Amino acid sequence: MKSYKLFTLITFTLFCLLSFGQAKKPTLMVVPSDVWCNQNGYMLNFDNQGSTIRIPDYKRAFQENAEVLQVISQINGMMAERGFPLKNMESAIKTMESNAVEDALRSSKDSGASVNESPIDAIKKAAKADIIIQLTWTVNKTGPKKSINFNLQGLDAYTDKQVATATGTGAPSFSAETPVLLSEAVISHMDNFTLSLQDHFDDMFENGREIIVRIQTWDDWDGDLETEFGGEDELGYVIEDWLADNTVKGRFSTTDITETMALFEQVRIPLYNDKGRAIDARRYVRELSKYLKNAPFNIPNKLVMKGLGRATIILGSK
Amino acid sequence: MKLKHVILSVLFIGFCTSVNAQWKKNKANEDTKIWRYDLECEGIAKQGSKLVKVWSYSKNPKHAISRGMKNAVHGIIFKGFAGGGQGCTQFRALVNDPSLEEKHKEFFESFFADGGAYLRYVSSATDGNIAPGDRLKISKREYKIGIVVNVLTDQLRRLLEEKGIVKSLNSGF
Repeated sequence: MKSYKLFTLITFTLFCLLSFGQAKKPTLMVVPSDVWCNQNGYMLNFDNQGSTIRIPDYKRAFQENAEVLQVISQINGMMAERGFPLKNMESAIKTMESNAVEDALRSSKDSGASVNESPIDAIKKAAKADIIIQLTWTVNKTGPKKSINFNLQGLDAYTDKQVATATGTGAPSFSAETPVLLSEAVISHMDNFTLSLQDHFDDMFENGREIIVRIQTWDDWDGDLETEFGGEDELGYVIEDWLADNTVKGRFSTTDITETMALFEQVRIPLYNDKGRAIDARRYVRELSKYLKNAPFNIPNKLVMKGLGRATIILGSK
Repeated sequence: MKLKHVILSVLFIGFCTSVNAQWKKNKANEDTKIWRYDLECEGIAKQGSKLVKVWSYSKNPKHAISRGMKNAVHGIIFKGFAGGGQGCTQFRALVNDPSLEEKHKEFFESFFADGGAYLRYVSSATDGNIAPGDRLKISKREYKIGIVVNVLTDQLRRLLEEKGIVKSLNSGF
């Protein structure tokens, strides 16, 4: 009976460790680069008050270009084989569209009300991932010879940093078709790409996840970041001190600060909180939000998040 | 009496052959034990493997050939290779910390033993033939021999992950 209890206890402990001892896994998605979309004519033009804005038309690229599908599926396969399956952009776009149709048609059985969607919610409806793998390739032709320039860039969607890369030119060939050359290029570049991605993850586990924290103020708030609270320092310095105390090795940089806003970049947050649970920017900045809500500051505030790595506190009200 | 002599002679010859083979093996290991070799990319292999040419040094060309496969696997694990022609890209070693060889000495000694597990991850790409330009006499007493082999890098990486020598991409998540 005693050994049965011991066994149960060990199983429960292991379960807890497995449940909470995992960092939040970043999502990755392969996207054809703007340059590739532009070169291949997959762009949408918008008139923005007289100036033309061009944005990539990913949907059409996926529907019309077989090469892009082939390259992405090969990269997806190789990443999945390494235990890191990627989010498929084509499917993400389809899901988004079907969700939009469902939301538009849905109404409450009792009141006939439709689903609530703020303008911000509408903007946030985009296929997104924490790390975007931007893909570019060009076919070089020298007489009958063909070769491929290949460039894979892993970009952190929140900090805008390039976290992994693999680039180079494939062997020239007289006879090989473009898909074959592309396939060879993916095979020969993926090792370097995954290794540099692994370096990024290793750094993250050692020095914490890098996030961006923004502080903003509602225009009807009567205070600002230069206000002194209860004989303490100015609010801007109070927030900096909190970050210094709560970041991994005290690492962060104050990129910009005025009386109405502050921008903190390269904020290294721990991957787990005191309870051993994995945290992201939102859960981390929630602690700062609570700190500012409590005495002596008593500042009501709103916490807004963007993915794993970016959070904003707007001071003054909810 | 005559039969006794025959048996003794056979046993003696057998013993000498075995000692000689062991001596040759030791000699080959002796010649190549400091992991002195050069590794270069030979082209794009099939997915999950690398096609490399490994140049091994020895006083006896046969020793250099026999140690080529071992050197190639060692090179993929600890040295990597530079990129170059034939669509080759630079390949970083599977283990980025050379001190891990010492740390996991027991595993690597048995892995790289004669007839060890390393043989499962490497195969000859040219049926063992050495191209005329790949057999070089670099001094009066030393040869440099290049052989082309195919190393199963993905499977090798998985083995090292299983043994806890390298981290997998999703470790910690």
